[in-house]
Amino acid sequence: MEKEVDGILVAAHELKAPLAVLRQLALSFDDISGQNEQIRSRMVSVSERAIKQVNDLVKIRRLEDGLFAMEPVAVREVCDAVTRELEYLFHYNKRDLYIRYSNRSRLVTANRDLLYSVVYNFLLNAMHYSGDETRAELMVKDFKDKVKIVVRDYGPALPMDVWREIKRGWVEKPTSIAMRPGSSGLGLYIASRFSRYMNANVGAVRHRDGTSFYVDLPISKQASLF
Amino acid sequence: MIFVVDDDEVMAECVALATKKETKIFSDAYAAMAEIADGNLPEMIFLDILLTGPDGFTFLNELVSYTDTAKIPVVIISSLDLGGRDFSIYGVVGVLSKDTMKPKDVRRYVEQYAK
Repeated sequence: MEKEVDGILVAAHELKAPLAVLRQLALSFDDISGQNEQIRSRMVSVSERAIKQVNDLVKIRRLEDGLFAMEPVAVREVCDAVTRELEYLFHYNKRDLYIRYSNRSRLVTANRDLLYSVVYNFLLNAMHYSGDETRAELMVKDFKDKVKIVVRDYGPALPMDVWREIKRGWVEKPTSIAMRPGSSGLGLYIASRFSRYMNANVGAVRHRDGTSFYVDLPISKQASLF
Repeated sequence: MIFVVDDDEVMAECVALATKKETKIFSDAYAAMAEIADGNLPEMIFLDILLTGPDGFTFLNELVSYTDTAKIPVVIISSLDLGGRDFSIYGVVGVLSKDTMKPKDVRRYVEQYAK
């Protein structure tokens, strides 16, 4: 119960942040003349991210009902769709995103919506933790009988306890705010829950200069049409 | 020059706009400290507490460790409930809540501390 309350508090804090930004943007209309379109775009972008996060939290609740069908999913197509959605955000935050696909197996067994959220949350986390002059990397490669999606950042090292939880393959709750300033780790929590539902292994590798998060997805036996 | 230290870049830009003065935005405490170490002392600083890397309190500790930087007025901008706590020993002249602050609140501090 205590853990659940902690999780709710952290999620509430994370969801409050975009609301505070939206409010400030709305108040900024008076200070900027001729840049209304720019402010409008930012408001749309901030709201869409917040809506996505709320939707993901709702999906977590629905996981128990088993409503998310597992099916063959074209992994590169999902990654392309996510990077297209986040392109503006990376550009706006002056971050580079390097993409490399080397996987021969194009189809994995997953749920497209959940996989989309996993990649989205990994990339958003990487963008947040990358510095202005560093880049985030998205790599998709074959790994034994699986396809591995790796998102690498060059930000501060992941706290040991968060890393241990991810290494165990399971983030029990969003990380305490004080431990992970700027981001509660809600995205990682969401990614972890969705990966577990899809029977995918989720993990992290600590580097001297950053962290790689990965998810290993089973290759679909269905013949690929892509 | 006013420094705004906040890893939420949109929020930082809103605060910078509200100052109506020349500002420099930093997304982490390291970068702001490096700028100050280069001899570029700001007239005042708007500082978020929950930052990526060293947090706002670590930054404040650094500032008060040196006689020249200890005098820089700092206004905390945070979504944390800091409950009217007194941070004046860190050179903090005010605390603004991100939930309720308005551009005029930012300007009020600017008019007082960055003439």
